[in-house]
Amino acid sequence: MKATRIIITAMTLKWAYRAANSITGFASSVIGCGCESAIEQELDPSETPDGRPGIAVMVFAMSTKDLANQVPKRVGQSVMTAATTACYAGLHSEKEIPMGKSLRYFGDGYQISKIINGRRFWRIPVMHGEFVCEETTGVTDAIGGGNFLVMGKTARHALTACEKAIEEIKKVAGVITAFPGGIVGSGSKVGSKYKFLAASTNEAYCPTLKGQVKSDLSEEVGSVLEIVIDGLNEEVIKQAMRAGILAVCSYGPKKGIYRVSAGNYGGHLGAFHFHLKDLVK
Amino acid sequence: MKPLSFKLKIKPEFTLDISPLTPDKLAGKKLAQIKSIYLSYGKQRTSVDKLFTVSGNDTANIQFLEGTEKLLCVGQNMSHGSIEVHGDVGNLAGQYMHGGIIRIHGNAGAWIGNSMKNGHIEIMGNTGDFLGAGLPGDPYGMSNGLIFVHGNAGDRAGDRMRRGMIIINGNAGDYCGSRMGAGTIIILDKAGKHSGFGMKRGTIILAKQPRHISATFKSCGNLKMQFLRLLFKQLSEMGQQFAMFKKYGPEVHRFAGDLASNGKGEILILQTIKSRN
Repeated sequence: MKATRIIITAMTLKWAYRAANSITGFASSVIGCGCESAIEQELDPSETPDGRPGIAVMVFAMSTKDLANQVPKRVGQSVMTAATTACYAGLHSEKEIPMGKSLRYFGDGYQISKIINGRRFWRIPVMHGEFVCEETTGVTDAIGGGNFLVMGKTARHALTACEKAIEEIKKVAGVITAFPGGIVGSGSKVGSKYKFLAASTNEAYCPTLKGQVKSDLSEEVGSVLEIVIDGLNEEVIKQAMRAGILAVCSYGPKKGIYRVSAGNYGGHLGAFHFHLKDLVK
Repeated sequence: MKPLSFKLKIKPEFTLDISPLTPDKLAGKKLAQIKSIYLSYGKQRTSVDKLFTVSGNDTANIQFLEGTEKLLCVGQNMSHGSIEVHGDVGNLAGQYMHGGIIRIHGNAGAWIGNSMKNGHIEIMGNTGDFLGAGLPGDPYGMSNGLIFVHGNAGDRAGDRMRRGMIIINGNAGDYCGSRMGAGTIIILDKAGKHSGFGMKRGTIILAKQPRHISATFKSCGNLKMQFLRLLFKQLSEMGQQFAMFKKYGPEVHRFAGDLASNGKGEILILQTIKSRN
C-alpha cells in the first residue's frame, strides 16, 4: 500500500477535530471507500507548521494514483470547508502527490503562492479569511491490514476488550485503525459466491452460522470483533498489534474473552505475515 | 581542512573583480593554481598572488579576511559552499548565484543578489540600491533564495523580484518592491516612499507604518492573515538571527495593489492603522 500523512490545524483543537473527522469519514476500507484513513494523533501547537493546535491524519490507498485521487478531493471538501483550518504535509519524500496544487484553482485567480524554507504553500482567499494549504504531500510505502480477531462470550464482552486495545494502539505513532472506533464488526473474507463481489462475510467466524458451516469458533464464542491496523512499516504494526493483543488478553476467560486469532486468509492476502505468538513472546 | 583564506596585500585603488574566486571555480585546484589565477583589477589583469596572501585548502569554504568596497562580484554564479567576507564589499555580490551562502561582515554596495536564483546572502551592515533586483536587460530580479540585511537597504530593493525573500532588519529606501512579480519583502523598520510601485503580485510586509502609501493601493482593512502565522513560525525556527519573528502575530492592515498594474500584490502593515479608504 501507499500512505501519506496530513497535518490539519485550526483556531482551536475542536475545529481541527471537526475537519479531521470529516476527512477521515467514509474511509474504513480500500475495498469500498477508495482509501483507509484515520486520525493518527493530536499535535501540540509547537509541533505544527503554523503554531496552532493540530491533528495528524494518515491516508492509505492501494497505489499512489489512488492516493492522488482521494487526497485533494477529501482536503477540498472536508478541510477547506471547515472554518479556520489550514492543511500541511505531514511527511516529506521524493514521491509526492498534489494537495494545494489542485485546490489553488478555488482561489479563482486570487490565490497566492509562497515558498517558505523550500516548501511551496498556497494561500487561497476564502470567506473565513485565508485557507493555507501546502502544494504537495509526501507518499511512502506502507502496510495495510495487520489484523487480529477477538472472540468473546458476547458482543459486549468483546467490545469492552477491543475498546481497551484501541486505547493502547493509539499510543503507537505511525499507525491507524481506520474502521469506526477502530473496530470491525463485520470482518470479511476474500471473494464470494457472487462473481461481482470482491469480499463477503467471513462465515467461519460468524457465531450464528456455527451449526451450518465449517466454523472456526468454539461453542462458547458468541461474538467476534476484528481490529485492523494500517502502519508506515512492519515494526510499528508489530508494536501496535502487540499492544492491542496484550490489552485484550488482560481480560481473560473470566471476563468473557476466550481466544485471539487472526484472519490470515490462507496466507494469500498481502506480502506481510504477522504471527501472533511471536508478537507476544 | 582549513577554509581557503584570502588576505589583501594591497589597498586596492581600483575595482577588483573577484568573481573567479568561488567554490565552484576553485574546486579541485591546488594552492599554486589558485595563486596563478588572473583577476580584473581596474584596467589590468593581475594574478591572485600579487593581490592576496592565500592559505588553507577547503575550496568549499572561502574567507576574505579583509574587505573593501572595491571588491566586485563576490560569489558570482556560485552554486554551493560558503563565502565569508570580514569587511565591506562592492557591487554585485551574489550576482546570478544559485546556491550556497555568502556572509558579509560589513556593508555592501548596490545590486546585491542581482537576479540570484537560489542560495542565501546575509549582510551584517547596510547595503545599497537595487538589492535583489535585475539589471536593465535582465527579464527579472531574484527568482529564489533569501537575502537578509541586518542594517539598512537603499532604494528599489526587490525591484522586478520574481520569487524568494528579502528581509531588511533596518530601514528601506524609496520604491521598495517596485515592479515586483512575486516573492516576499519584509522590512522591520521604516520604509521609504512609493513601496510596491508598479507591483503586479508579491508581498511587502512592513513592521512599521510607512510615511506614505501610493494612491494606487486600496485598503482591505484590518485582518488576521493565517499565512503570517505560518511564515513567522517557520522563519523563527530558521536560526537565532531570525528569533525576532516570534514577537509578530497575524494582525495586519492589508493594502492591495498596485492597482495601476495587475493589482494582485499586497502591502501588509503589521502595526494596524486606521483605515484610510
